[in-house]
Amino acid sequence: MFNYTFHWHQAFQALPQMLWGALITIEVAVISMIFGIIFAVLIALCRLSHNRVAYGVATAWVEMARNTPALFQIYMAHFGLGAFGIHLSPWWALLAGITFNNAGYMAETFRGALRAIPATQTRAALSLGMGPLRAFWSVVMPQMFRISFPPMTNQMVWAVLMTSLGLTVGLASDLAGVTQELNVRTFRTFEFFAMAAVLYYLIAKAVMLGARLVAWRLFRY
Amino acid sequence: MFHTALTLNDLLFLAKGAGVTLAITAIAVLFGTVLGTVFGALKAQASALAMAPLTFVLDVLRSVPLLIQLILANAFQSIAGLGWSPFIVACVMLSLYTSAYCTEIVRGGIEAVPAVTRRAARSLGMTWGQDMANVTLPMALRVALPGWIGLTLGVMKDTALVLWLGIIELLRSSQILVTRLQEPLFILILVGAIYFLISFPIARLGGRLEQRWREND
Amino acid sequence: MKKTYLAAASTLALLAATAAQADKLDDIIASGTLRCAIVLDFPPMGSRDTDNNPIGFDVDYCNDLAAALGVTPEYVETPFPDRIPALVSGRADVGVASTSDTLERAKTIGFSIPYFAFTNVVLTHDGAGIDNFEGMAGHVVGSVGGTFEGIKLEENVKAWGKGEFRPYQTQADVFLALSQGQIDATVVTSTVAASIIATGQYPGLKIAGDAPYAVDYVALIALREEQGLINYLNLFVNQQVRTGRYQELFDKWVGGTAPGLTIDGVYR
Repeated sequence: MFNYTFHWHQAFQALPQMLWGALITIEVAVISMIFGIIFAVLIALCRLSHNRVAYGVATAWVEMARNTPALFQIYMAHFGLGAFGIHLSPWWALLAGITFNNAGYMAETFRGALRAIPATQTRAALSLGMGPLRAFWSVVMPQMFRISFPPMTNQMVWAVLMTSLGLTVGLASDLAGVTQELNVRTFRTFEFFAMAAVLYYLIAKAVMLGARLVAWRLFRY
Repeated sequence: MFHTALTLNDLLFLAKGAGVTLAITAIAVLFGTVLGTVFGALKAQASALAMAPLTFVLDVLRSVPLLIQLILANAFQSIAGLGWSPFIVACVMLSLYTSAYCTEIVRGGIEAVPAVTRRAARSLGMTWGQDMANVTLPMALRVALPGWIGLTLGVMKDTALVLWLGIIELLRSSQILVTRLQEPLFILILVGAIYFLISFPIARLGGRLEQRWREND
Repeated sequence: MKKTYLAAASTLALLAATAAQADKLDDIIASGTLRCAIVLDFPPMGSRDTDNNPIGFDVDYCNDLAAALGVTPEYVETPFPDRIPALVSGRADVGVASTSDTLERAKTIGFSIPYFAFTNVVLTHDGAGIDNFEGMAGHVVGSVGGTFEGIKLEENVKAWGKGEFRPYQTQADVFLALSQGQIDATVVTSTVAASIIATGQYPGLKIAGDAPYAVDYVALIALREEQGLINYLNLFVNQQVRTGRYQELFDKWVGGTAPGLTIDGVYR
């Protein structure tokens, strides 16, 4: 039917290599989510504060992250910072780019969630003698995470998908990088990338499943 | 003071790239929205079992990186001998990608319309089509519009990935200029600013609409 | 009635048979356009002028080929890793893109006889402390993924057991990374190294000796099964040398004596 002979055995032979790449992909995605969440909480708080500088920096971060392409952010992290003499290796540039993006999007989610939590909660916590930090950490933040959980899950899946952009800045160790390395040597584009697509789908499904398990475990009462 | 080798010609070159970006965005959003509305209405109406194959396909479109989808589609059309230009491949894949997300937005919008309202419309003698056109969709639109605007902006940013197929859109144009002029920082910041200027006003508009239309509980 | 029917059927069959035998060469001439896959971040073979139009030795060769075929040239810009995919997927008819004629690639596409030859040198920046090829061991080096020198450099890095190899997706990215000091050295052809140093836009870049790789012969590429087109390309390359056009373009873009394109002791 097609004027093309598929060489699937080559793709299957490369499967171990691609699985190692998948591991790196998950690693980058997880680390970028952890740091992204930490930064996002800080940014969300800055956006709700009255300090002009904090508000300005936080808003700039959020608007830049949400209004420019992720590919652009990753490319900037490697070559843009490189023009300043700041050398981030491809792995670090990818991580920085995705973390920047994650933090920007999740800060907005958190800000919306924080506004949905009545101020009475904070006032009650303060009146019980908790300091403002303790009040936030023990009372408000858990509720914030609970409300933001579905968007956070989406963001995690996007983080996994964004790791594929690492090959544009010379990363050869994640799943897409490995696949491209195999591709440029053998030109069996369809076979290798079809395999990679299946692996990405499985990783995304695993993330969603994991998130559902975590939600069931953490948010039940 | 500030010297750059960037000429007016180069700015026009960037503008051409921006034009390609916007063209691909417009086509993808148009077809994606039409498909998404059809799929969303179907999913809101039919049983989950009947919709399972469609749900699976749309799920795949949302779970595989867009870059991989573009590469795979390009490889597939060459194997199948379809002879599509990279522009067509990009438009087709982005339309499908948009429709996958739009389906969820439209479905969410339709399901936000209270079932009692829809049943009332049907009990007044309206057909399913009349109910959809005159009652449900106008109300669903209110709920779906901010999400749809967000999706449109997302697609505009994702068009940067089509540079992989050899299409000279905005980001690739900037890379060409960087290669020739070796002013990476300036040109990249300029391009970032262009993306920002295209995206920010529309995002703000969406935000304002969302605030205005939010139900005041 | 029967005779006209028979005549019509046999004419159609004849036309169909002729159509079935039309090959890529016929298609190009019939369509009036020659789409060349060309690399535009690789001076002096291919680059862009101040109006962002393609110029270079490869661009001129593409123009010559189109003129010989009597068609208009159309440039399909491809970064290095995309040359062969562009050909295979039908985006380009021919690749005039300095493609090294390796046996691995010959499994996928068809090569003409060599039309140019490169020697590879080590390109590095001041401050990296690299003076020769062996000096690259232990450093971060990079190249374009899938190229002749890129694959060889990656093998060298593996053999040295230390240092790091980064595969970028375009030649431009490699030069940008090198100029920013993100990689300490790369291996490129002597022509492109001389060319980018001559632009003066890359302060601090210098050539640090030759790379011990064999002479890199590059050829025109076409689909593997298009024998008619490949035969034509072979004759085209021969004619370019024979008529002096090869030396003329070499003088224009590189300067000096054009490298010989034959291997001693073997016919082709």
